[in-house]
Amino acid sequence: MTTTETKPDRTGAGQKWEPRIVGFLCYWCSYTGADGAGTARMKYAPNVDIVKVMCSGRIDPELVTTAFANGADGVVVLGCHLGDCHYINGNHKTMARMPLLRRVLEDYGIEPERFRHDWVSAAEGEKFARLVTEMTEQVRALGPLNWPERMRERGVGHGADLPPWGSNHK
Amino acid sequence: MESERSANQAGNNGGSESPRIGVFICHCGGNISDIVDVTRVAEETARLPGVVCSMTHMFCCSDPGQGLIEEKIREQNLNRVIVAACSPSLHETTFRRAVARAGLNEYLFEHCNIREQVSWVIADKELATQKAGRLVRAAATRARYLRPLQRRRIPIRPSALIIGGGVAGLTTARDLAQRGIEVTLIEASPFLGGRLASLHRIYPTGKRAREVIGALIEEVASNPKVTVYTNAQLENATGFVGDFRTTVRILPRGVTSECTNPKEVIEACPEETLDTFNLGLSKRKAIYLPYDGCYPPVPAIDWKACTKCGVCFEVAGGKGIQLDEQPRLVEIQSGVIVIAVGLNTYPVRHGEYGYGVLPEVITLHQLNRLLDPEGPTRGRLLVNGHEVRRIGFMHCVGSLQRKGIHKPMRDGRINEYCSRVCCTTSVHTAAELKERFPEMQIYDFHEDIRTYGRKHEDYYDEVSQKGVVFIRFDPLRPPRVDADPKGQAPLVVRTYDRLTFGEELEVPLDALVLAQGLVARDMSKLVDLYRCSVGADRFLMEVHPKLRPVEMAASGLFLSGTVQGPMDIGESTAAAAAAAAKAASMIKTGIIELDPFVARVQEDLCSGCKVCLTVCPFQAISRNEERGVAQINEALCMGCGACAATCPSNAIQQAGFEDAQVKAEVLALLQEPALAAAAD
Amino acid sequence: MSANGKLKVGMYWAASCGGCDISLLEIGARILDLAQVADVAFWPCAADFKYKDVAAYPDGYLDVCFYNGSVRNSEQEEVARLLRQKSKTLVAYGACACDGGIPALANYKSPKAIFQRVYHDNPSIDNPEGIEPQPNFETPFGAVQIPAFYPAVLRLRDIVEVDYELPGCPPQADRVWETIQAVVSGAVPARNQHVRVGCGQKTVCDECPLEKREVKITQFRRHHEYRPEPGWCLLEQGLLCMGPATRSGCGALCIKGGMPCEGCYGPAAAVEDQGAAIIGALGGLLDAATEERAQELVSQITDPTGRFYRFTTASGMLKVHAQGGQS
Repeated sequence: MTTTETKPDRTGAGQKWEPRIVGFLCYWCSYTGADGAGTARMKYAPNVDIVKVMCSGRIDPELVTTAFANGADGVVVLGCHLGDCHYINGNHKTMARMPLLRRVLEDYGIEPERFRHDWVSAAEGEKFARLVTEMTEQVRALGPLNWPERMRERGVGHGADLPPWGSNHK
Repeated sequence: MESERSANQAGNNGGSESPRIGVFICHCGGNISDIVDVTRVAEETARLPGVVCSMTHMFCCSDPGQGLIEEKIREQNLNRVIVAACSPSLHETTFRRAVARAGLNEYLFEHCNIREQVSWVIADKELATQKAGRLVRAAATRARYLRPLQRRRIPIRPSALIIGGGVAGLTTARDLAQRGIEVTLIEASPFLGGRLASLHRIYPTGKRAREVIGALIEEVASNPKVTVYTNAQLENATGFVGDFRTTVRILPRGVTSECTNPKEVIEACPEETLDTFNLGLSKRKAIYLPYDGCYPPVPAIDWKACTKCGVCFEVAGGKGIQLDEQPRLVEIQSGVIVIAVGLNTYPVRHGEYGYGVLPEVITLHQLNRLLDPEGPTRGRLLVNGHEVRRIGFMHCVGSLQRKGIHKPMRDGRINEYCSRVCCTTSVHTAAELKERFPEMQIYDFHEDIRTYGRKHEDYYDEVSQKGVVFIRFDPLRPPRVDADPKGQAPLVVRTYDRLTFGEELEVPLDALVLAQGLVARDMSKLVDLYRCSVGADRFLMEVHPKLRPVEMAASGLFLSGTVQGPMDIGESTAAAAAAAAKAASMIKTGIIELDPFVARVQEDLCSGCKVCLTVCPFQAISRNEERGVAQINEALCMGCGACAATCPSNAIQQAGFEDAQVKAEVLALLQEPALAAAAD
Repeated sequence: MSANGKLKVGMYWAASCGGCDISLLEIGARILDLAQVADVAFWPCAADFKYKDVAAYPDGYLDVCFYNGSVRNSEQEEVARLLRQKSKTLVAYGACACDGGIPALANYKSPKAIFQRVYHDNPSIDNPEGIEPQPNFETPFGAVQIPAFYPAVLRLRDIVEVDYELPGCPPQADRVWETIQAVVSGAVPARNQHVRVGCGQKTVCDECPLEKREVKITQFRRHHEYRPEPGWCLLEQGLLCMGPATRSGCGALCIKGGMPCEGCYGPAAAVEDQGAAIIGALGGLLDAATEERAQELVSQITDPTGRFYRFTTASGMLKVHAQGGQS
């Protein structure tokens, strides 16, 4: 899928596709940096939905694959700069996991530009805003990933497996 | 008292059996509602299964706003609450408390950020409204998977460690000791007093700086609750709030109070070196006391200058001189830590406005030393051996720098900020010059005058009336300083004066005083040990300048004084007092409450593979050999979640950030329709 | 149970290597005990059964049917549905049926790419006319049909409701026997296709005799180029042992044989994506203080996807390559 306009992606008939990116941000640095961009009233692309965690080290690769598998066009993981982690070295774990995960995602045909990890400090609102806008445009150029549709085409039973909302599964 | 109805009604964590979710969306007085159609978001969210009530309020954080939330919890029997408002860093705690007051566990609350991360950063109202709605509904879905949690309560030692013995550190030390708290103060240099000791007269009282700092030191040193270590370097830091363990290396001083004739010993020393107290304007001996009345009144040896010739030892009759003294380690336990390490003056570059090239160019701090009757020239205004009759002040040296105009410092950055105190100090010093030398011609070169404080403008008026000439330059065309080719004066300043519509002026001077800016110290070790937040200007950052000043992000750590940024002495002592008040308040409650976001091992899933042990940065995990499983010490767990992400069996979950909770949020976000722009 | 009071047992071989059928025989002499209480009603690998025989059975006739192998073509799906109908208890037997197994590694290629490799770019094939198999083909003697090739390898539970899953490549004989005994005695857990039987509740580390020294990995090695130090955890030595991320039950056989675990028993009980689980674990185990060093170490892993998802490609979150669809 490389065209940008064919798949409606749940927006209804005739609406232009907009990249949907999930951003996992660590509270102490990158989330606060994003707040800083807000305090300075910087304007940037609205396509990244922020999911807050305490530390980027909390980001299990399964959270990233879950996001892609359920329709994210891009995923970004942001943490503190190396040496600045509030929990000393949570970002070291991120630094080790993400390149490995990226190689695996490439084997699945997920372009490397769709998955980004970077370091944003609490004072780097500008970097955050720039990063969001940049990544949105990169993903826009690649087009929708629309993994659930690809799986449905292949008859793969993902989605059928997921328990319904609110059930007591697990 | 908290009721447990939440646990019963919401069911177990597999998603709420019968969720009763209340959604409150804040207008924030227009900050949100001017862009986001909050009413529409509330209406759309009301249709989400499990949402019992969904409404807006002008200011959710206000008393009536909180009252509304509490009322609805009781009235509607809510078991989950969402507030969509500003960033959680501001009011998450406020709303948690409101929820608790209504009898619901405060961790069955989810905060959604639709101001800093939506209304303030998206111009298009339609897009902003869609995004806000999406985030709110995802928060509501996540909330279904929340569990009631209890904060951890940890006892706090009734003691404080203060790092830094300048006016701020000393003020905090005095205030804490007066409240009965044990204080350990460590100072890196051999003497207390910091920068203030080397100043001359200070505004607004005109008092002598040394008197002020002397009185403060006396109060601190004489208080039995205070222990002071000078020549102290931070070595290592462990522990956590309530029980910090800091290892300090005490460097050898070389001299003890047993030396009964320090002045003679100093006189006898054959080695001389530049006197840093007098900013290089004079020399001192390798064994020294910086000034009369310093504290401790015991000389120190400057090991870089000392040749260990032993003359001092002989003159002292062998008493109190220890040339072979070794460093020693001291461990300090404290409940809280206050960081008061101050700042540095901007290191003026060689050649900047002629500094280092023309000997008549000095800094404002050096001028202070010259004016001091106890200074290197005993108060005579001599620069490079000449009496000064024509003097200029150059503002903004190392402040308000601009890319392309000013050269970056060694780390590649420029100082774009205003250093705050130099204008008032310059003008105040000019007033003193006019008082002592009425015939002196004084010129003031500035791009702006920021005499912002109480009575500061009066100094400006006063010196203007007394004939100080104010010349305003264009920051993009700063003045040039050269030796005077005509030989009329040691140097000449050439500038375009904006106040006379760009007239080019040449001003011959006997001395030029650079009002140098203030910069952060190199605090890399401190930042590393305590994981401090550092701002773009390299000063340490407080959690929030309005709502939580002087507090650092890590619990139990406080900032005192100019370590946060340029301040004058009054501002510094006010901040120091604030830090003392907050630290004392924390200690007096006796316990510290920590977030409950700890990790827990589900033993029936754990294989004891020990991967988590290797991963925990706080050594909070150990292996229980009897049961063959990992166990987490909740008092040590800092709640990072690294072990939860690492465990290859998914046997560890982090409270508040469980896989089910985070996944619910992600899936809810992705199930919402994608953003669709309004017609453009 | 049939008229003679014995259980009716079935075993079917779908897209797999045949090892699972053999593994049932690995119970050895205990097969005689099995024969006392059960009759084989359907086992094409072992005796001559036809599909029409199964179709003729009443619904639920088979008390327990083991279906091994993944689903790659329409025949396998058809038989899966047929066996579901005709079985009281349907067990996904072995890694292929549970998680896709080795065949599911094909999911990283599109059907088009697979056919291209197998029928055209294959060095041992001579196919000048570029013929590819077709599901329907007209011959002068009538139409010939072969099963349709599916665009992805699926697990049994992607096709039908499964009662239990029994992992392993192959499942170990003792575990198989325990399961059979449970079925015979009726002491089985409540039906839930997410509950796995014939395995432990922990990971292979629980069964592994080697010692962890709690050190970080300084270099990754492949097992043919390195002789491990005995007694010491293979993962810590840089061999990519999947043990920490693999369900226990096999008795750590491979490790006891000096080889790092490959992960054939699938993910741990509470894990959905085995590859993501081991990547998450490796994140904390690398001896790297800088990004460069982390990249360097990561680049020493030659085929992360093939290693981490070797048996569970169809069970991971992503399951297939982005490109694909019908060829």
